[in-house]
Amino acid sequence: MSAHVKSGFKEWIFTTDHKRIGILYLVGSITAFCLSGIMAVLIRLELWSLGPTITDDPTTYNVWLYMHGAVMILGFQIPALTGWFANYLAPLQIGAKDVAFPRLNAFSLWLFWAGVVLALLTFVVPDPPDVMWTGYPPYSVVTSGNTALYSFTVLVMGFSSIAGGINLIATIIFMRAPGMAWGKLNMFIWTVLAAFTIQLIFVPVLGSAVTMVLFDKYLGATFFNPGMGGDVLIYQNLFWFYSHPAVYVILLPGIGMIFEIVATFSRNRIFNFKVAVYGGVGVLVLITGEVWVHHLYTSGLADWLRVFQMVTTLMISVPVGILMISLVGTLRGGAIDYKTPMLYGVGFIFVFLVGGLTGIPLAMASLDLAVHDTHFVVAHFHFVMAVSMTFAIMGGTYYLFPKMSGRMYSETLGRTGFWLFLIGVFVTFGTMFFVGLDGMPRRYYDYQMFPQLENLHKVQTIGTMIIGLAVITILISWIHGLVAGEKAPSNPWGSRSLEWDTTSPPGPGNFGGRSIVVPDDWDPYCYDKPGRTL
Amino acid sequence: MENRITSHEAQWHTSVWPLVISVGILFLGPLAFSFHFVYKNPFLTTLALGIGAPLILLSIAGWAKEGVEDVHRYSEGHGIWAMPVFILPEALLFVGFFAAYWYLRFTAPAWPPPGTPEIPHVIPLIMTIILISSSIAIHIAEKRLEEDNYPGFITWLAVTIALGVLFLCLKGYEWSELFHEGFSPSTNMFFTIFFSLTGFHGSHVLVGIGLFLCALIPAFWGKASKPFVTASSIYWHFVDVIWLFVVSQVYFL
Repeated sequence: MSAHVKSGFKEWIFTTDHKRIGILYLVGSITAFCLSGIMAVLIRLELWSLGPTITDDPTTYNVWLYMHGAVMILGFQIPALTGWFANYLAPLQIGAKDVAFPRLNAFSLWLFWAGVVLALLTFVVPDPPDVMWTGYPPYSVVTSGNTALYSFTVLVMGFSSIAGGINLIATIIFMRAPGMAWGKLNMFIWTVLAAFTIQLIFVPVLGSAVTMVLFDKYLGATFFNPGMGGDVLIYQNLFWFYSHPAVYVILLPGIGMIFEIVATFSRNRIFNFKVAVYGGVGVLVLITGEVWVHHLYTSGLADWLRVFQMVTTLMISVPVGILMISLVGTLRGGAIDYKTPMLYGVGFIFVFLVGGLTGIPLAMASLDLAVHDTHFVVAHFHFVMAVSMTFAIMGGTYYLFPKMSGRMYSETLGRTGFWLFLIGVFVTFGTMFFVGLDGMPRRYYDYQMFPQLENLHKVQTIGTMIIGLAVITILISWIHGLVAGEKAPSNPWGSRSLEWDTTSPPGPGNFGGRSIVVPDDWDPYCYDKPGRTL
Repeated sequence: MENRITSHEAQWHTSVWPLVISVGILFLGPLAFSFHFVYKNPFLTTLALGIGAPLILLSIAGWAKEGVEDVHRYSEGHGIWAMPVFILPEALLFVGFFAAYWYLRFTAPAWPPPGTPEIPHVIPLIMTIILISSSIAIHIAEKRLEEDNYPGFITWLAVTIALGVLFLCLKGYEWSELFHEGFSPSTNMFFTIFFSLTGFHGSHVLVGIGLFLCALIPAFWGKASKPFVTASSIYWHFVDVIWLFVVSQVYFL
């Protein structure tokens, strides 16, 4: 960055530059993460002992559940993966100077922040929403809580991600540097393209569902009122028609980021790259819309439908398995360097495997009927989605930290945070599997009927405290890096990928006025060609 | 603002409008709705509308101005591609509603439910004709713009907008007649679907008219962004097609 570039407050808040928008997404999503993390701690404290512990009002507990679930997914994971990573990394990796529509990009950023403001209003309004993150009618229609806040949070965040999706899809298609053929794209680019394709197709369906709730509750419509011929199953179907693919919207950029980390720190080509792209990412997009009904096993379905959904659900573990094989295969024969991002990369593989393998029995309707409404399912989706994707976000943020800030973080603090996180996760959610199998129901703020589970609940709460400590360590390591870190070189990890081929941090226009032309014998993982950089 | 681009990569690009329009949307959408329908507070509702609407109008104007001056040169020409990509989610929004409609209709014991009056078919027919003619009008306007015939472009664009407004007036007339006779979304399932689908479509017509206004005003100064006009007209054709679904399935089937 040249010294004369003007960069004050105005250049941040009104920015249309993709890197700064990405960083503002990061700030927003980490804010959301901390908020909803505090909710998780409150939830676990309430379950510390039998009977009311820190609140005697189940509605308050419901509000915590709402904040934790809705804000973690809509405010933290989706924006961090599709906002922060995709915005920051995608244009750099394809050699573009910015995204295709810079102002639309800023618009989607500030709409996301509007959604964060709406989430924060939960603390202000007299009647906070208490509808979980699902907003199922009829409860969401008859509750005295403010369902409008829920619906609008979903709509605003959804519109923001549609705007972001249009932008990045257009960017990837039209703004690639000369010579950047489709075959030379990073894994991360493919996963972002896939995630946004899913997002564009399925988000509006969720939008229609929450709009119907809004109409029902406030405008007198009767979509979900059985007395008027309405049917609540419409909502459940429309909701999961989006919200199951949403899992892949989160998974894909997350695993894409992990691929980048693992390839860089193993100094290795991605194993079976083409199979992973076509058979993993591509097939996932194709069949993602056919499995949502497995969320409704307990909602009263015809048996033939359950069997059909069992088959499709088991089918979808195949592309995910292909991605995992590529990930592990990339490690094979590599010169592995366990820096903090790589610890998260390997940690991701373990955590995701635990989540994925417990998902396979859950796909069986016969087993799912027994454990669907227990903590077993909670543990499963926290492993497969919550924790593994948070690992991807944390690892990716450490990976990009030198690039975005121009400074190095402290490796000691980073590793300490990782190990605390990993231990906390297994203590909390590992125990949760057993509690769930013993019959502990989901969403209950008390468990009078299971006094024997009190000790296991205490273990989980202690695990949550360890995770809290981990998050604090991670935040300290970032702030410490920003304030006191050494100056970062342009390519601290020795990666071959294009985003490291510029200053840290990159200035306006990304490559310092250079026009990138990609040579024929380069690709982002050409570690087998010694000395080959751009 | 005028010294923004001296050398393309020498400085950070900025635009105030994305932030301003987001604040406006926050006030006009969620906050105004909540103050009116949830908390039933007329003062705060008026305040939210009073803050939201001007901010949105101001930023649309500012955004359109920047667009015509084309200060963000990266996006040249891609707008034509972005619009179909945007129409995909828009269409699926309607798919959600139509799916709910047909599911409810097939599971209902009788359709339309008892107590539903015969909706007059004349007005929707006129509205269909109006909307189709407006699609033709915007097509002619586009042709005029390609010939750089600005007076012709302005005329036909104005005709399109007028037809759109006429469409909305007829919609409003039809709705007010029904409200007058005591029918509302809570009357029965038919009216829930009727008001949702027609209202939802009407809001899209409104957005289309807004897009055309953004093209019309700079045209008076002899400025127009051709990709923007093309993109808006694609959107208008889409709104037109959706109306064919609405009118055929809600009124006539």
